[in-house]
Amino acid sequence: MLLNFDRLGWWKYALLGITLLTAAFLLMPIVFIAALSFGSSQWLIFPPPGWTLQWYGELFADPRWLESALTSLKIAVIVTVLSVLLGLVTSFGLVRGSFMFRDALKALFLTPMILPVVVLAVALYAFFLRIGLGGTLTGFVISHLVLALPFSILSISSALEGFDKSIEDAAVLCGASPLEAKIRVTLPAISHGLFSAAVFSFLTSWDEVVVAIFMSSPTLQTLPVKVWATLRQDLTPVVAAASTLLILLTIILMALVAVVRKVLKQ
Amino acid sequence: MSTYSDASGAIMPLPKARRATGFGGVVPALAFVAIFFIAPVAVLLLRSVLEPVPGFGNYAQLIGSATYLKIFANTFIVSGLVTVISLLIGFPVAWALAIMPGRLTSVIFAILLLSMWTNLLARTYAWMVLLQRTGLINKMLIGMGLIDKPLALVNNLTGVTIGMTYIMLPFIILPLYGVIKKIDPSTLQAAALCGANRWQCLTRVLLPLAMPGMAAGALMVFVMSLGYFVTPSLLGGTANMMLAELIAQFVQSLVNWGMGGAAALVLLVVTLSLYTVQLRFFGNQNPGGR
Repeated sequence: MLLNFDRLGWWKYALLGITLLTAAFLLMPIVFIAALSFGSSQWLIFPPPGWTLQWYGELFADPRWLESALTSLKIAVIVTVLSVLLGLVTSFGLVRGSFMFRDALKALFLTPMILPVVVLAVALYAFFLRIGLGGTLTGFVISHLVLALPFSILSISSALEGFDKSIEDAAVLCGASPLEAKIRVTLPAISHGLFSAAVFSFLTSWDEVVVAIFMSSPTLQTLPVKVWATLRQDLTPVVAAASTLLILLTIILMALVAVVRKVLKQ
Repeated sequence: MSTYSDASGAIMPLPKARRATGFGGVVPALAFVAIFFIAPVAVLLLRSVLEPVPGFGNYAQLIGSATYLKIFANTFIVSGLVTVISLLIGFPVAWALAIMPGRLTSVIFAILLLSMWTNLLARTYAWMVLLQRTGLINKMLIGMGLIDKPLALVNNLTGVTIGMTYIMLPFIILPLYGVIKKIDPSTLQAAALCGANRWQCLTRVLLPLAMPGMAAGALMVFVMSLGYFVTPSLLGGTANMMLAELIAQFVQSLVNWGMGGAAALVLLVVTLSLYTVQLRFFGNQNPGGR
């Protein structure tokens, strides 16, 4: 009876109440930021005395915001491509291969997911200082790739594990070369895994703050680093505008994922 | 993957010794991870015992100082509080999600995922504004007559705890949902038939059955909280540092690689040992922490 909603009695309303309050609690900051970004009060008074697009104007008028957004985008795209390619090759090795320590190796590849990011950030910072990659695009790409790759390997391997290899073998028997069979049969069949890998990698890089704080230089910084640096000085509504754009991108990507999942299922 | 031609394997005799296949595929990633992950972390940890002089001086200093001990205490207290509160809120929510009928469930799931994927800085910024002295939360509390003077909710550990709980809730609700969803309703029917009242059903059947999921989720939230950097440093202020911020400060402002490495090793050892406990007892569940 505890697992039957209709037979819970008044407990039903308690559970429902907590759930709705929690949902409101989770949603509140997101809605709040979006509302503030259109509010006319510089002191972030809520509800705002009036509505304005001033903060978006300031955001777009400042070339440094635009520049950091472009830097973020560039890094995220490169990281996504590299992460999917490397994840694909690695997953084939991990899923299809048979060699010593295969499971240990897979666990090793996933470790960056559980390691405190600050440890990795500090370690890479020291390393890049020494070899001259600190504050460079390459440094950013490498450090973001360390964090994105595990998501890629996880998504693509699980898709590949779910794919019946005999279909690929059948293509080879029908005269396709092994590579051709992989490209024309296997890749389309695991495309949902490739797609998740790409989305996760992109968002990992796009949202990354901790490593990026250590990688950035005065001339090269990503959008989150710019937000971080601005936040340490004051709570200007321009940050609310920047945050709203970041949230918007997340919603678009989530909607895209939902649509693609639906299409791939059919 | 030159040895991969199993299609003809049915006709050909099996190779005498088992050969390693597919290793070539993992070589690039292995090289990448070795150079840009294992080596830098290893070097950082080595520096903790080599700099400024070889030995365990850095660790002695870390344990010997009241300032650093307070930071460790802060870190564990906040992580513990965040874990307990997330569990207390998360369990009923996961329970409701597991049994609630209809469209409302999918709306709440969408909210959970949205909040999980919304930029961490954006969410932390929201709390910085909401929790200010003149912020919405204080205004609401005064408006409801619960307090007469604004509370200090930010730049202290209260702020960190609120902000971190907010971030960790989805991470505990989602795994708990999975666990409760898998519980067979007939076990509870059986308990009810045997005369258990609702409260007994909850404390003696449902909670014990959900316990492995709760323990695994709690451990994960605790470990993730220990290593968090962004939210504690923005909501906590300089007087209430946590471990991740201490590491960053050793390296960035003090340029003390020995102490930075030592503090990193402490965080790493605690994190990895708790994950080992989790893997050992509860199996694998693995979103990462910022």
